[in-house]
Amino acid sequence: MTTVVEANGLTKRFGKFTAVDDASFSVEENTIYGLLGRNGAGKTTMMQLLTGQQFASAGSIRVFGESPVENASVLGRICFIKESQSYPEDFRPKHVFASAPWFFENWDAEFAQRLIAEFRVPVNRRIKKLSRGQLSAVGVIVGLASRAPLTFFDEPYLGLDAVARQIFYDRLLEDFAEHPRTVILSTHLIDEVSALLEHVIVIDEGKIIIDENADALRGEAATVSGTKASVDAFVGARPVLRREKLGGLTSVTLEHLDSADRKTAVAAGLELGPVSLQQLIVRKTSIPETEFGAQS
Amino acid sequence: MTAISAVLPAARRYESPRRILAVTRLHFVNKFQILGLPMIILGGIFLVNLAIWWIIIDSTGGPTPQNLAHTHLGYTGAVSYIFIYTLIIAVQAISRTFPFSLGFGVTRRDFYLGSALAFVALSLGFAIVLTVMSVIEIATGGWGVGGRMFAPLYFTDPSWLLRFVMYFCAFLFVLFVGSASATMFVRWRATGLTAFFAIIAVILLGAVAYFTLDHQWPAVGAWFTSTGPVGVTLWTLLPAVVAAVAGFFIIRRATPRN
Repeated sequence: MTTVVEANGLTKRFGKFTAVDDASFSVEENTIYGLLGRNGAGKTTMMQLLTGQQFASAGSIRVFGESPVENASVLGRICFIKESQSYPEDFRPKHVFASAPWFFENWDAEFAQRLIAEFRVPVNRRIKKLSRGQLSAVGVIVGLASRAPLTFFDEPYLGLDAVARQIFYDRLLEDFAEHPRTVILSTHLIDEVSALLEHVIVIDEGKIIIDENADALRGEAATVSGTKASVDAFVGARPVLRREKLGGLTSVTLEHLDSADRKTAVAAGLELGPVSLQQLIVRKTSIPETEFGAQS
Repeated sequence: MTAISAVLPAARRYESPRRILAVTRLHFVNKFQILGLPMIILGGIFLVNLAIWWIIIDSTGGPTPQNLAHTHLGYTGAVSYIFIYTLIIAVQAISRTFPFSLGFGVTRRDFYLGSALAFVALSLGFAIVLTVMSVIEIATGGWGVGGRMFAPLYFTDPSWLLRFVMYFCAFLFVLFVGSASATMFVRWRATGLTAFFAIIAVILLGAVAYFTLDHQWPAVGAWFTSTGPVGVTLWTLLPAVVAAVAGFFIIRRATPRN
């Protein structure tokens, strides 16, 4: 595996606010990454740092082995689709699709045409007049058809309907299979994209709190429920992500349960349940009940 | 983590010149917006002017085409419209196309150089159009009615080449001063732009105070007279070049708004 992105101690401060806080991670080639987190967690800033749009306050970034800042040979291989992308005054989608090939050497015009039809983008309408979903579709089409070796999608499908989102997931996977590349996707719709993601990086208040293979992450967490006594006995000193009480039943969400743990739990008469990626991330990025209790 | 990162191919495709030209083309991709619309409006203004000249001559029965040319009625400032339009093009080229280009993986440097090239090309094109129209205007005795729109007061030099140079310089001035202001907005937002205009206002006020208190206005007038229209226009190249260079350094550290 080759490393495409490498960040070390990456920090970005805006005045007193720290948007990205001492983040270190790496991104492997030809993998689909999910950059997940709550609003204002630092996802967009992180992407802007990796694409040289923002300047880091501290730490280092290597993209294709070099600093991305003002580096034409690095940026020439990057496509960054932003939810809040601004377009030149009075541009129409046809102008975006006409100029994109000048910047992306792998641009596939036929693929773009197919996507335009599938997303039903009115190419002759002014971008100002497009609906939120149509605007997102323009970005998604550029991101897919550009086939840039490193593609960033920042909340790419705000306003896209369920059908359009499904088209996006399907085309991304199909095209990715034929033309492998590195994709970094930020989103709120974690469950919807969880099948796409091979690796998950979760950022909260600028800090990276999860950086793990998606399958491993999904497989390791579980809810354990039963009577309070037996659950407490099983939990022991393990960190609890979330604790719920329903009548006499207690249910806790735990991470890192291996098969031995699971056997022990079943033997103790406890019930095991799956935790979706979204639930897991919600639980990791909100204050756990135990801590909450300790604080108040 | 692997020790060796993916190494960039030695391919020369990512070289800057290609991307600089791509940015230049990007400014012209919406041809109607940058070329069609200003020409249509200019043509419309011209027709309205023609009509007004004709109405004046016909209804008053007074001035003949020959003496309309000698009254100020024949002169119009209509051509200034295209300079205002050009200023707006310059501002939007930076404020809107800059963040867009960054998403396409363009460096700030390549964006600015490509934009500067587009501005020079646009100045050249518009200057040629105005010069050709002025040549026709003069050759036809002011469109047969003694009107002056394309060779108005300040652009009356008998040599078409000098008129062309004046128009070219004037467009460069408007485009680069406008785009430099826009780079300040992109870099420091409204606060920076307001501060900049406040400083300019103070400098101008200081100059006015100096010339007035020191009774220097006749000297200023004399300078304009002795330098002449062509000379004054050439002097505008100085602020244009300063703005162009300043814009480059300002945008190199600018970040797009979220």
